[in-house]
Amino acid sequence: MSDEPGDATATAAADTDTEVTGGFADRWASFRDREISTVLLTVVGVAVFPFLFNNFLNGYTQLATLMLIYGIFAVGFDILLGYTGLLSFGHAVFFGGAAYAAGIFSASVSSSPLLVLLAGTAFAVLMAWIVGFLSLRRGGIYFAILTLTFGQMSFYLAASPLAFLTNGENGFTSVDIGSLLGVIDIHGGVPFPLTMLVDNMLYVFVAVMTVLSVAMANRILHSPYGTVFRAIRENERRAEFVGLDVWRYKLMAFIISAAFAGIAGSLFTIEGNYVPLQSLYWTESGRVVIMTVLGGVGSLFGPLFGAGLYLYIENIVSGFETLGPFWHLILGIVFVVAVVLFPNGIWGGIDYVRDMVVGGEDE
Amino acid sequence: MTVLKTERLTKQFGGLTAVDEVDLEIEQGEGVSLIGPNGAGKSTFINLVTRRLEPSYGEIAFQGDSIIGMDPHEVVQRGMSKSFQTASIFPELTVKENATIAALAAEHGSFRFNFFRNQNSYPAVDELANEVLESVGLYDERENQADSLDYGNKRRLELGIALAAEPDMLLMDEPTAGMSPDETKSTVDLIKRVKEELDLTFLLVEHDMEIVFDISDRIVVLNRGSVIAEGTPTEVQNDPAVQEAYLGGVEE
Repeated sequence: MSDEPGDATATAAADTDTEVTGGFADRWASFRDREISTVLLTVVGVAVFPFLFNNFLNGYTQLATLMLIYGIFAVGFDILLGYTGLLSFGHAVFFGGAAYAAGIFSASVSSSPLLVLLAGTAFAVLMAWIVGFLSLRRGGIYFAILTLTFGQMSFYLAASPLAFLTNGENGFTSVDIGSLLGVIDIHGGVPFPLTMLVDNMLYVFVAVMTVLSVAMANRILHSPYGTVFRAIRENERRAEFVGLDVWRYKLMAFIISAAFAGIAGSLFTIEGNYVPLQSLYWTESGRVVIMTVLGGVGSLFGPLFGAGLYLYIENIVSGFETLGPFWHLILGIVFVVAVVLFPNGIWGGIDYVRDMVVGGEDE
Repeated sequence: MTVLKTERLTKQFGGLTAVDEVDLEIEQGEGVSLIGPNGAGKSTFINLVTRRLEPSYGEIAFQGDSIIGMDPHEVVQRGMSKSFQTASIFPELTVKENATIAALAAEHGSFRFNFFRNQNSYPAVDELANEVLESVGLYDERENQADSLDYGNKRRLELGIALAAEPDMLLMDEPTAGMSPDETKSTVDLIKRVKEELDLTFLLVEHDMEIVFDISDRIVVLNRGSVIAEGTPTEVQNDPAVQEAYLGGVEE
């Protein structure tokens, strides 16, 4: 259960300095660069996104905010689905559960956005520990069905037996979000230089959380866990027979993905000042599966694009005059086309085009 | 020193006794082969020892301690590694990553909370992975996807993964099954070499008698779940019970 003790780390670091300096230092440098470049890319992306979205794609900032929230949800979900190879059909428990926990916390404990975020995420992690502990006993389709069952169970719990907490079918309406760090009005406007890019503080807050989430996901995927997760996806039995405690790593993948769902769910409450009962319904679990597959399983950025495209069709295309009423059909067609043409999702498609243009790396 | 010891080890599937009260001892540094006709219980025996199957009764001790009740990964962590009958690798990862996973498990144990540390901050893991790839002759292929290797090399990689666990004892389930004569020869050479270099103790299950007689110090013959003969290659070859089991089974 423990990481290596501090002195061992120090020794290892000392060894590297003296013995393997050249090669290792270079590799370290290249990794630092890669991590920083990933973060910078995300920063630039979320910074220019609302401007491009609002001006060229008929978008509006509130939807851009929602896209990032679901993007965080999908990025975390991909750690479970794309990297570890586990299909959960119950992640609404963690998204919706965190949304409710955040809402109730804001109404009865503290309205500080950061504390609300922390409370919602902590609740999601706790739920994931329990649900994962019970569901991961079985693999494949049984795992998917078990998680679905827990999802529906939580939906019906929130709908009626726990209605005194959740306000039942009407959704939780008493959300009370205060100002950020006591000074910044989170639902207010932004100071001058930022106004060129975005028009409200909420987007900035969500964007910062998105960057942090992407950075965390990137970290995890480049840690030993990333390698172990992919090993479990590729050949679970072999992973067990090299001496890895596969079950505990799977539980960790489940909890980590739920933590991202928790961040997203809490932000969802902060964003909307309201928690609909719908957030626990099984369609919410299905949405994140579709977003992740659409964006590209097994890629870091893909799920962000998947979430964006899904919400774009749901909210913008559905408003088009002639096509609008058929948006479900359009979503279905887009999904089929993406999966057939680009089995690795939108991100796989981007990769493919980039390789065509650049001439392709020989991997 | 005794590395592996089984006492009255038995596995019953319904009315069928696949492994029947087998007593076996393997000493440090010894290369033992388990042979027998089809259905003799060889694979079941291996699966019992690696804890994939729960024995009906009997005892298994590894390095002096009972391993009954342990999970397979715990047995591996104690130093018993297994090479599979098929090329059981991580196909979509690179050759290097395949070795790295095994090295991670060897260096870090079965589980650790280190999901915020970069992989590159563990040079010992990297070193071990490279060493293993060198020793199975796949270092030059390290950047290729494991899937793209030919069958012989996949099996070598598989063996490499098993060796990366730095085992005290290696179980090999038909390591040359499905290989061409050339691949078989190079694999046998490889096994001989690592046995010498690492003073490896192994238990081999194999159909090919030539290989068995070539690399074993001792041979154990299993028939219908029981040990019917045991001894050096020459002793076993001349044992009438063995000849009966292999040649006379048809008349019954």
